[in-house]
Amino acid sequence: MKLVALDQRASAEGLFAGQNLADAKALVPNLELREIDLPFIEQVFGDFADWHSNATPIVTVLTDHAAWGDLMLDITGVSHLFGGEAAMLETLSGRLEALGLTVRGAIAPTVGAAWALAHFSSPQVAGADVSEILAPLPVSALRLEESQVAGLEHLGLKQVGQLYSRDRRALKARFGTSLLLRLDQALGYVEERVRPRLPLAEHYVERRFAEPIGLLDDVLMTAHDLALRLSSDLETEGVGAQAFHLFLYRVDHKVMTLSVNAARATRDAQHIGRLFAHRAERLVGEYDAGFGIDMIRLAASSISPVAAVQVGAFETVDGAASLDRLYDRMTSRLGPLAVVRSKPVNSHIPERAVKLEPMVARTPDDPQALLPLAAPRPLKLLPQPEPISVSLAEVPDGPPPNMVWRRVTYRFVRASGPERIAVEWWRSADRLQLGNEAQPSLDRTYTEGETARDYFVAEDDGGRRFWLFRQGLFGASEQPKWFLHGFFA
Amino acid sequence: MLGNRHLALDTLRQQITALETRPVLQGEESVPARAGFLVAPRGAVHEVFADELREGGAALGFALAQARSMLEPRRPAILYLQLQGDAQEAGVPYGLGLGSFGLDPGQVVFIRAQTIVELLWAIEEAVACRPVAAVVADIVHLQKALDFTASRRLSLRAAASGSSVFLVRYAREREASAAKFRWKIAPAQSRPPPFDATAPGPPRWRVTLEKGSLGGRRRAAPEGEDFLVDWTEHGFERVGADDRTRGAQRPAPLSGAPSAALGDRLSEAS
Repeated sequence: MKLVALDQRASAEGLFAGQNLADAKALVPNLELREIDLPFIEQVFGDFADWHSNATPIVTVLTDHAAWGDLMLDITGVSHLFGGEAAMLETLSGRLEALGLTVRGAIAPTVGAAWALAHFSSPQVAGADVSEILAPLPVSALRLEESQVAGLEHLGLKQVGQLYSRDRRALKARFGTSLLLRLDQALGYVEERVRPRLPLAEHYVERRFAEPIGLLDDVLMTAHDLALRLSSDLETEGVGAQAFHLFLYRVDHKVMTLSVNAARATRDAQHIGRLFAHRAERLVGEYDAGFGIDMIRLAASSISPVAAVQVGAFETVDGAASLDRLYDRMTSRLGPLAVVRSKPVNSHIPERAVKLEPMVARTPDDPQALLPLAAPRPLKLLPQPEPISVSLAEVPDGPPPNMVWRRVTYRFVRASGPERIAVEWWRSADRLQLGNEAQPSLDRTYTEGETARDYFVAEDDGGRRFWLFRQGLFGASEQPKWFLHGFFA
Repeated sequence: MLGNRHLALDTLRQQITALETRPVLQGEESVPARAGFLVAPRGAVHEVFADELREGGAALGFALAQARSMLEPRRPAILYLQLQGDAQEAGVPYGLGLGSFGLDPGQVVFIRAQTIVELLWAIEEAVACRPVAAVVADIVHLQKALDFTASRRLSLRAAASGSSVFLVRYAREREASAAKFRWKIAPAQSRPPPFDATAPGPPRWRVTLEKGSLGGRRRAAPEGEDFLVDWTEHGFERVGADDRTRGAQRPAPLSGAPSAALGDRLSEAS
């Protein structure tokens, strides 16, 4: 057990992070200890990091060394909004310190240098030449592994500056390529990118509030206004987008994200506003504004060019576009898998022969996938075939004379079949097994005879037509089981 | 004065929209003509009743057959709506089984809602959209939300946009509803195909038109007209009292040919 984090008073007593718990308790007997709840802390830190995206969109958490990570922001091109890099560092550190946190930050041209300066030096803004500034820092500032740091110290290389003049091949042979990689990343010879936590958007508009707002209606109204601004931005570039994200930045450093999708690229502000209104109706339980929302950003991604369209009195109605908008609205309100269509799949097994594809993400039809069917297929299919009991069918392939389904007896006067559907030989036979067991038992392998299905179309004396099958061939399994799978018209 | 102008402008706008609506399907083959036996006019709300859930296949089949006849180049979409929770009880439409109704597997869009409120909202949205030919809603359990007001709203929207709504319900009792047509469908024993006397034949239903009139004719009997129809590739075919199908002649089976024993070979069931 080791110490992971301590406050100022503990460090004043001489304790340090990484120290053995027993030693620490020996040094300071009345030490107050808490066990770290890592998932909770990572999640809270993650929320916190997302909140920082109101400073810049590219925010990430580096988890190389600290238990819960270090906050890394890519501020290329954003610093002027805060009045310069130094002022930006002041502002960001200042607002965190106002919350009672201890902050050490630094701004540098590379990720590695910024990390090194923040951990091992005083808060500062580094100029373009990082090698000067990094030279006096200890080698552990390069985010190396413990074994590498120990090895370097053993050789007397205690500062980063001493590594500059060493022979690279020797260093690589002794410590591996990762050492050189870290050094080059810190000095800027190798580019290191950060992967942002929230989806990155090329186009966005935002609005800050002097007084935090909380009501969902106000949020939607703002979203509508923002959609109008975003739509004119997209129009000047002649593009439209298929995914829109609404980021709500709360006062207590959390971010809520709402995303909607459109089947075709659009920049119609009314349509976007309506999609968000529908999406918000699905939100009801999860919406929590906390102490208020002080900034809302609307971003668009999946951009593609869209031709200009005449609107107004002489608008020509495009049927396909209005159908797509209808599906967008329904998907937004009912959920992502609510609006689907069947797509045939190249498979013999009936429940696998179609898959349901969401309309907003549909792919063109594949004429190869439709297998020619000689046998009839039912109009309605039961998602899970239901077991029925059948008395005395003719052996071996006879149709059922009657059945008991959902506690009602049916007497069949006509039947056709059987259509034999055996397991696809390239899959294991286990997959086709149905029955009372929820999971097929693993210590049993099913033979092909046990898993083949014989389908019958049966009509009862009332004219109702059913599609049922017998699972298992006579002789192959002890007791073949019958199931009802679908209904005909 | 001002009101007249607005009305005139509105009418003109609708006419221009109707003229200028681009057909969605370019160069598609023709769809069956509107005239025909049991083919209903557009823009109405139909209630299709079946007595019990197990007869749902017949009711859905009838609704799809009617919906198929509403398709045209400017109206290519058929939507099917169902509550997610009813899927195992009533069954879900099977894409590969739509072929016997002249529909491609991908031509019907399925919409699954979680609550009846969402379902009704979805029906209203779909009906208001002009390129939708027909909306088929499978309402398995009795729903309080589907009352007279709701059906009246639906029928107004359907009349405005020209899309049709088919509400498939399962009950023996009837409630007041603003639907223009009310059908009752019950399956009936089918005529066996010519070469196999023991196999089921094309779907046969007993269709009762309880409310509404087709083709301008007044209803003959107060409790509604009753038809026995077959659904074949030619559409609805009326079956006479002697159980012989009028219409296309079918080749008679060869004399002396033994009827195929059940289970001996695959037979065409439809």
